[in-house]
Amino acid sequence: MMQRTALSAGISIAWIFIALATCAIVVMIAGAAPLSVAQALIHGATGTQYNISNTFVQTIPLLITALAVVIAFRAEMFNIGVEGQFLLGAVLACWAGQLAVPGPLAIIVTLVASMIGGALWSLIPALMLHFRGVQIVLSSLIMNFIAVQVVAWMVRGPLQEAIREYPQSDPIRAAAELPKLIQGLQLHTGIWIAVVLAIIFDVLLRRTTYGQYLKAVGSGIRSSKTMGLPVSRILFTTVLLSGALGGLAGGVQIAGVTHFLADPYSKGYGYTAIAVALLARLSPLGAIPAALLFGALTSGSSAAQSAGIPVVVLQVIQAVILFSILGARYTAQRILRSDSAGASA
Amino acid sequence: MSSPVLSIQNISKAFGGFLALNDVSIDLFPGEIHAVLGENGAGKSTLLNILAGITQPTSGELQLNGTSVVFASAVDAAKAGIGMVHQHFMLVSTLSSTENLLLADMVENRAWFSWPAGPVRDRIAAQAKSFGWEVDLDARIDTQTVGAQQRLEILKALQGERKVLLLDEPTAVLTPGELPGFFATIRNIAASGTAVVIITHKLDEVIAVSDRVTVLRRGQVVHECQTAETNVDDLAREMVGDNSTAFAILTEASGSPGTPHQHEERVVLKDAGSVAGDSVLKHGNVAVRAGEIFGVAGVDGNGQGALAALLTGNTPLTSGELSICGEVMTPQQRLSPQTFLADGVSYIPADRQADGLVMTMSIADNIVLDRIGDAPFTRYGVFIDRKAIRHFAQSEIERFDIRPTDQSRIVSSLSGGNQQKVVIARALSRNPRVLVAVNPTRGLDVGAIAYVHRALREATADGCAVVLISTELDEILALSDRIAVLFEGCLSETLPRGVSKAELGRLMGGAAL
Repeated sequence: MMQRTALSAGISIAWIFIALATCAIVVMIAGAAPLSVAQALIHGATGTQYNISNTFVQTIPLLITALAVVIAFRAEMFNIGVEGQFLLGAVLACWAGQLAVPGPLAIIVTLVASMIGGALWSLIPALMLHFRGVQIVLSSLIMNFIAVQVVAWMVRGPLQEAIREYPQSDPIRAAAELPKLIQGLQLHTGIWIAVVLAIIFDVLLRRTTYGQYLKAVGSGIRSSKTMGLPVSRILFTTVLLSGALGGLAGGVQIAGVTHFLADPYSKGYGYTAIAVALLARLSPLGAIPAALLFGALTSGSSAAQSAGIPVVVLQVIQAVILFSILGARYTAQRILRSDSAGASA
Repeated sequence: MSSPVLSIQNISKAFGGFLALNDVSIDLFPGEIHAVLGENGAGKSTLLNILAGITQPTSGELQLNGTSVVFASAVDAAKAGIGMVHQHFMLVSTLSSTENLLLADMVENRAWFSWPAGPVRDRIAAQAKSFGWEVDLDARIDTQTVGAQQRLEILKALQGERKVLLLDEPTAVLTPGELPGFFATIRNIAASGTAVVIITHKLDEVIAVSDRVTVLRRGQVVHECQTAETNVDDLAREMVGDNSTAFAILTEASGSPGTPHQHEERVVLKDAGSVAGDSVLKHGNVAVRAGEIFGVAGVDGNGQGALAALLTGNTPLTSGELSICGEVMTPQQRLSPQTFLADGVSYIPADRQADGLVMTMSIADNIVLDRIGDAPFTRYGVFIDRKAIRHFAQSEIERFDIRPTDQSRIVSSLSGGNQQKVVIARALSRNPRVLVAVNPTRGLDVGAIAYVHRALREATADGCAVVLISTELDEILALSDRIAVLFEGCLSETLPRGVSKAELGRLMGGAAL
């Protein structure tokens, strides 16, 4: 047992060196100094109060969208349309946030509207699957491109600011904003929403009837059908739930960070979410550290970028880190498995 | 007699611990039509696959014209002059006939392209003409009839210097009207000096077309003779075996079944039809009573899938009428497994891994799979009650002797027999009013078989009506109170217990009552 722990630790350390070496080579090819890039990245993610706050601010939409991916992928419903659901959630939140709703209700109305927006956007692929058997992976992806155009139209049409100068909306009412966590920093209370959701979904998947259905349908759809499980209902619900989460992420972004809608609106949170979810092995709680890692990388990268490091280099570094983690996990599995097989033989 | 073109010498093939072929030796002579007859699982297809290079034998050897050969792949076999027509056609449906043949040419020559098309096309046209066939070489495959597709498959298999032609259940896809023409072609091909091997379970076809017959049973050659010297009855007896050891074990292990003690008709089919995938039920007339095991015998692919799917609500009724426990269903109704389950119908599907189990879930989760949302396994209808599931699973594991006994074990790590016990435990722990069991012992060892049979009997003792759909005649005979035979989608009339095996064999081969 001790040996195995030591072995897996060794594997992790080996991969850290592989990742660092690869990153260093990439940076040197790009003509920069590896150490200063590393320093800029780390500083950008954790260096100042503002940077730490930004890391968490980036983590929030990534965590919520990752939960949307987790729940859908668990059912083998490859919803890669979270980006679009995020955008539609933002659109509806922006609209609802401007309504004259009294006091504390305003936030709730805004967030619920964003969930409805995301759910409606995923309803179309869900219906196409249900009635025509269209693969979610295709239909949900296509919906993303439409969503981008919807945002572009909204900020030039129905939701454009009253003075109609820029392609952006008016801000939502102050009552609809999510309060800041610390005065003077961007970090907002959406972080609690994200973390609580991760916990709720962990319970949902492990402890509820729905979670058990999801597990059965996700890994044995034919048996589930034959054995009388309400398969279509479960899949339909799951796609809508995933869409609602994606939409909520957009709503939280509007209510917590930007307060208005602009074009383009998303930094690709819905796509990064897929990497986050897979990194978390589709575990809701695992999505918390995974989202934090990507949040830190995003925050660090934007700081490093303003320090003059080319964005492409930063993207390559992100990719190297992701691949290294997956590589470490894979080798650990392989080595530990062959090890235990050898032991039992 | 001339020397054999292909000599099969002491071929054995093991899949894991299961011996599919056991020391099989057959000689194939040029110009001869050789029928290989056997029940499902007798090893016919395995034998053919070895000859065609698709699988490799565990031991034994093949001799082609007296020299030993080893086929590493289907291409090797094709190059050596062995062509095969598969039961399920291997044609690209969106390409034309010519294009398909060019493709085959390409694969066999391991070429990147096949060009020019002219000579190949001319050769095929000439060959087709020599058989007296009208072949549209430019029509897309999906616009052609099944018969035309089969002719194309035969042409494909005959390309190049063919010494041996293997036909796997070739008549399964043909209508009765197409048969005489097909037989004539086969004779034609044989007359040109090719050795033809035809695999079938239809007895009258063997008599009609073959020169010599080899009968396989449980992987062994049990009978070999000239077709002229045999008849349908003898072949049927050889095919199913009269007093095989398994039969003895089965009857001994479980005692003789009781008689139906109730007369309530639980499952009634009136001229029912249904379709599930490529399985078709055309006419089903049957009444299954509470407390009896009703055996449905038949060779695989004669509508078993559609019958089982219909009886469990997995496929709609296309014609006729079905009633389960007195509830009458018509073709207009939407059937669902949920409602059948609620009516008390339990199901042991043929393919336990694909249709019965969620392989990545635990034993406990699989045992309660069909009632996760029911009391006592859920609290407030929202949360699962792990403790209740564990408790229930543990008692079922003990009752059905599932090993290992740890309820949290993932079912994919269980042996086939124990996986089947999980399926059976789930089906029987509902105290079903009707149990539909399809090949419940396929792939199990003798001990597990006896166990399953006892479980089925016990279910009837509690008044359950069991529909046992099985391709194992021994099993049907050992367990059933009454029997019907399914052939080409039609259920025969109900036969009493004690009907002879030869008689069933005849019916399974399509002979009239």
